[in-house]
Amino acid sequence: MKFYPYKRLNRPVLLRVTSVALRLSDGTRDQLETTAYSTQQQAVALGIAGHTDWVSAEIAVSATLPPGANAPDAPWSDLRVLAVLTDGETNVRTSVDLTLDVEGGRDWSGALKVFRDDHLGRAYVAVYAVGTVDGVRGRSIAETDRSWIIDTASDEPVRGLQLEVQKASFKKSSREWLQAYADAPWVVDTSARVPTVFVNTDVEGVIDLLDSNGSGVESKVRDLLVAQMSTDVWTAVFHSAIGDLEVEPGGRPVFPTDWQGEVLREMLPDVIPGVHVEEALRQVHRRRTGESGWVELQTRIHYAAVRRADATKALAFAIRSLEQMNRESET
Amino acid sequence: METGEEFGPWLARQLKLAGKTQAELADELKLTRAAVSAWITGRSTPRPTVMSDIAKALGTDVGTVHTRTTDTQAGLPVTWYHRPGYPDGGRDLGNAAAFAFDADVQVLARETCQNSLDERLIENGRPVKVRYTLHELTGAALDAFREAILWNDLFPHYSAVSETAGNQKVGRVVDAGVRDMYEKGRLVLLRVDDYNASGLIGDDYADGKFAAVVRRQLESLKSGPGAGGSYGLGKATLWATSSLGLVLINSTLSVPHEGRTERRVIGRLELPWREVDGESYAGPAWFGRPDPDSPGAMVARSWWADEETVENLYLARESDEPGTSFLIVGAHDVAGLAANSSDPDDGFIDEEESDEDTRDITTMHARLVEALGRDFWAAMTGGGSKLPLLEVSVRALRNGKEVVAEQQVDPSVEQPARTRALRAHYEGTTVDRLTEAGQVAARSIPLKLPLSGGAHGTLGTHQAVLLVTEAEGDRDGAKNRMHSVRGNRMTVKRAVVPRLPNSTNPFQAVLLLGEAAGETAPFAKEAEDFLRAAEPPEHDRWGQTEELTLRWSPSAYRRINAMTAEANNAARELVARPKRSSGEGGEALRKALTVRTRPKAKTPAGPVVPVLDGLDAAVGDAGEWRIDGEVSIPRGDEIFPMVPVAQLDVRSGGRPRLDWAELVGVEGCEAVDGVLHFTPGARRAKFRGTTDVTSHPVRTTLTRLVVELRAGKGE
Amino acid sequence: MITQPNHVPERLGLLATSAVDPFLTEELLKGEQVHGGIDLAKVVEPLPEDDARWWVEPIRSLVDDAVFEFREDRTRADAWLAPRLHATLRLTRREAADKRLWNHLALAVAPDYVVWRHLSEPTAKKPERRVAAERFRGPADRQCFSRLWWAAELFRNGSDYEPVDIACGNQDLIHTVLRSELIDHRPTAQALVRLLKSGQVSGGREINGLSVAINTAGATLLYDILAPDQPRDPARLRHWIAEAGSAPPVERYELPSGPDEDPVPEESVAALTRYFAELFETAPVRGRKSGD
Repeated sequence: MKFYPYKRLNRPVLLRVTSVALRLSDGTRDQLETTAYSTQQQAVALGIAGHTDWVSAEIAVSATLPPGANAPDAPWSDLRVLAVLTDGETNVRTSVDLTLDVEGGRDWSGALKVFRDDHLGRAYVAVYAVGTVDGVRGRSIAETDRSWIIDTASDEPVRGLQLEVQKASFKKSSREWLQAYADAPWVVDTSARVPTVFVNTDVEGVIDLLDSNGSGVESKVRDLLVAQMSTDVWTAVFHSAIGDLEVEPGGRPVFPTDWQGEVLREMLPDVIPGVHVEEALRQVHRRRTGESGWVELQTRIHYAAVRRADATKALAFAIRSLEQMNRESET
Repeated sequence: METGEEFGPWLARQLKLAGKTQAELADELKLTRAAVSAWITGRSTPRPTVMSDIAKALGTDVGTVHTRTTDTQAGLPVTWYHRPGYPDGGRDLGNAAAFAFDADVQVLARETCQNSLDERLIENGRPVKVRYTLHELTGAALDAFREAILWNDLFPHYSAVSETAGNQKVGRVVDAGVRDMYEKGRLVLLRVDDYNASGLIGDDYADGKFAAVVRRQLESLKSGPGAGGSYGLGKATLWATSSLGLVLINSTLSVPHEGRTERRVIGRLELPWREVDGESYAGPAWFGRPDPDSPGAMVARSWWADEETVENLYLARESDEPGTSFLIVGAHDVAGLAANSSDPDDGFIDEEESDEDTRDITTMHARLVEALGRDFWAAMTGGGSKLPLLEVSVRALRNGKEVVAEQQVDPSVEQPARTRALRAHYEGTTVDRLTEAGQVAARSIPLKLPLSGGAHGTLGTHQAVLLVTEAEGDRDGAKNRMHSVRGNRMTVKRAVVPRLPNSTNPFQAVLLLGEAAGETAPFAKEAEDFLRAAEPPEHDRWGQTEELTLRWSPSAYRRINAMTAEANNAARELVARPKRSSGEGGEALRKALTVRTRPKAKTPAGPVVPVLDGLDAAVGDAGEWRIDGEVSIPRGDEIFPMVPVAQLDVRSGGRPRLDWAELVGVEGCEAVDGVLHFTPGARRAKFRGTTDVTSHPVRTTLTRLVVELRAGKGE
Repeated sequence: MITQPNHVPERLGLLATSAVDPFLTEELLKGEQVHGGIDLAKVVEPLPEDDARWWVEPIRSLVDDAVFEFREDRTRADAWLAPRLHATLRLTRREAADKRLWNHLALAVAPDYVVWRHLSEPTAKKPERRVAAERFRGPADRQCFSRLWWAAELFRNGSDYEPVDIACGNQDLIHTVLRSELIDHRPTAQALVRLLKSGQVSGGREINGLSVAINTAGATLLYDILAPDQPRDPARLRHWIAEAGSAPPVERYELPSGPDEDPVPEESVAALTRYFAELFETAPVRGRKSGD
């Protein structure tokens, strides 16, 4: 539980994106459709128009402060509203002052610039309402409770991080390291920027099966395969994330800020249920680096992966469809 | 001076009302019968000196004879006429139409406002103005009103109905209505006025709007082919909203009747069969002037009332603009209860058993505004050269004093996104693709009209207009809806646009069809005709109807389905990107490999972990954090000891941990070396702590405290 | 001590972390033997041919000079190499965030430098000398070259590398602060350097205390308000990068010049320096004796 030593607003600032435009390398501007962002997902996909040559993006935002922010008897003064763009991967932090739309109102708006040269993956936008409280300048009195995601590559404005899937002939791949796995149908590379699943096209038909849209037995088998693959993937990414933890002086692990953090936050509640994720991370880290308990934890890690893969559902449907097929062939 | 009607017809009616013949009048005036006859047929007019004699003969003043704006009070006075029971002894339990509805001011608003729209005077291009007035009467004002409606004559009828109340719904409603008036000493009048509408024109009995409303409860009479509702079944909601079954009417006519236009007044009462003083009555009763033409001059007909009378009946109209005022006596809103209560009761709600008030005028005010905004935002919206078709306001009074000020229903407040869409359409500011929040995109949607009579082929293609714009939060109601509007901008259908991806930005869509698509839209009239035929009496959807089958073909409704599918596709295309065809590994795998939140897993059984449930903290004089913590302990045999950990929040990375200067258990626990041990059986515990200020990495006013409970050693 | 591989590539490339393992041998980590370079070249994804920035020679000669110059005190090589590496290997942050580039530099181009710079001194606990694998392929603030590049990027004041020189002269600063989000705000980075330069803060304990104080107060304070920065003009950096092909080798004795970007507004640095000094002086923990 958290406690502030000064008065502030309880409710969050609401932030929404209102338009997105790309500046291209030839100097032209492409005003993207509103499908480039999702208010539901709080995500912007700058890759949506398929441009590879964009230089910067201009993202117009509008923020609504919670009620009371502009009350005449509010315990703060010098109210300002700041939109802050951050990217932990490229150490970018830029801030923009928003301007009040209508005197006496609570809506503020402005535009953020995102330079393509400054980002590789995702940047985040948060808004802070800042004032002078009890003589202390620059204090945040309210902020967004969830940042917007600006994905500089994705072509779909979704919040959930999507792991990469690539197909390759392991025998003939230019990635020579894949040749070592020529007899495996798929491998997981957790060392890439975003974990990547390589599917071996040398296994004939596997791609067709994965791409299939049909119903019937084929789709049930496909779902079973997908469940098997994703169980592998989730197990691998969890291990990779937990094995790469940065540790505070004093031995406490710190939550990673990239995909590893996202994976851990999602999976830890299944691995160590009933405690805060921070506490769960400490426990898992202690067991991994400590004397005992790591082996015992494998079942829970596997369980978390199986849950994420919807394995039970896929299996049940596959079995039912087999039974049906058997019945039909008998009659 | 007001212009009254022609002398001849006026005199003829006065004679009839007074029960005098022309010969009798001639005798009184000491003139020939031919002279009187000449007046009545309009061949001559009496000399001024004779006027005062005529006035004397009719028992009125000479002014009335000169102006002829009202009937004389001669003859039979205004009274209640109750329809006698059927000779065969048949009993009705009340007007089926009137009591098919539960009292619901929102349904009332929809039906009455639609009627006003349909009855709008089109030639002048102005909107029809509708005003809803909730008026609660108490004390002297209530007494005076009861006198004006001759309550004492009605009361035996209500008593008779109350006696049989337990048996049927209508009786119970009426019984509760009368009791509320006496017990709470109040009566709510709900008045619905329209201006710039046609008014209740036509004869008292023959075909016409007047007879449609007052006489024939089951008949619909439409003003034009585009009319959405009508004075059809919907008018019954007026009576359904009255807990006394009583509605009074004052209409100003757009077309004179009997040479007059203003203050045509009548009342109608709906009660079940009853027996009063040994006489049986069939059900309805009328409040009016006995019609000398009727058998025994018993039937009451409308009369041309004077200003004082309409004032006393709370029926005075604001101007001489044509239109009608309906006064619902004893208005109540049973549906308002269901709307507010958590468990929706599908049956009739017994009012006596309910604590909540179905007669609260401020609640009814709010519900009226809501319903009117929801159902008529389109008709209330103008833009460019288009004027709104409708203006509506709602107010609430108590004994003539304002309780809720008159509020004009503003469509841009009630339905902001849809109103913005329609306005942009009228102003010509729509766009092809949405690139900014707040824009409105427009698309043409074809509706292929079939040939009538089952012939194959297409009569022509009507172009409907689809408008799509970003939703304004949930102020327009549920998101991603398409409202289909036709005719005089009546919303017929509300449906969700199906098959949208999760990431879709919430939007609202409006589909303008038929005449709502604009005068220039091809085949607007034909589309209007076709769509109306495809509507059920509720006007809330399109589909297979008998009329559609008879006039076109049994499969004609498919044309509408095809159009709906087009409209949905067009809306989807505007708000969602088409699904990517390629993405390596297929859709199913990509979906499975997205990091997303799942429901939490079950906690395995084991020792229970107490959790921090409440925290109060303050900075002490020395800069230390003083903390009061509350712990909730789940039921369990074995309870973990817990370590309260005080930390400071940081911008990024690990949090610095503060040392305790003091840590004590206050209730349900004991602190030993910084560890809380809980008293067995306790479900709550409290502890108090003070941090060691010398462990603070920065001065305390600049910190943000984080307190956690950790199991084990608190590592 | 090892030398460079027999085969050093002429151009920089991208080496996926998943492909690193076969070459990150025990022998290499112990500083005993390096791979030959031929096999490694097979798993590298090439970078565009027409970009002069990927020439290895200028970098290779830089690290050779560093090894020679700082043979007595290798930690001092950081302050010398960081600005010069940054001015030689002109990258956008987008490019610099790609770990494969740094993997390639450390394993294919200059594994000998990584070993020379990071081979541990024998201690009683760990008598065996060894390089942590993260120096070859670890997080940006740990990897041998990327930590220097990012330190230069985050501490330079426009085109001025002097603050980088100061910051990297202090191992504690780059070790503790580089991973923190605080220095993503340019005025904060400059104020830290200024406190170090003026001697108001010195030594590992003090630097750590200051950064904890700033990080803690930063949970509710927005330094962006106290010390505003100017919006960047990305064209200046682009221009500097485009000049890479025609730029002479970087100065060995003078500090080179960085991209011609605007320096941090002086008022902001001054204001924040005062603010941090005050934060530091009023921190209650300061009075504590070490060892508590």
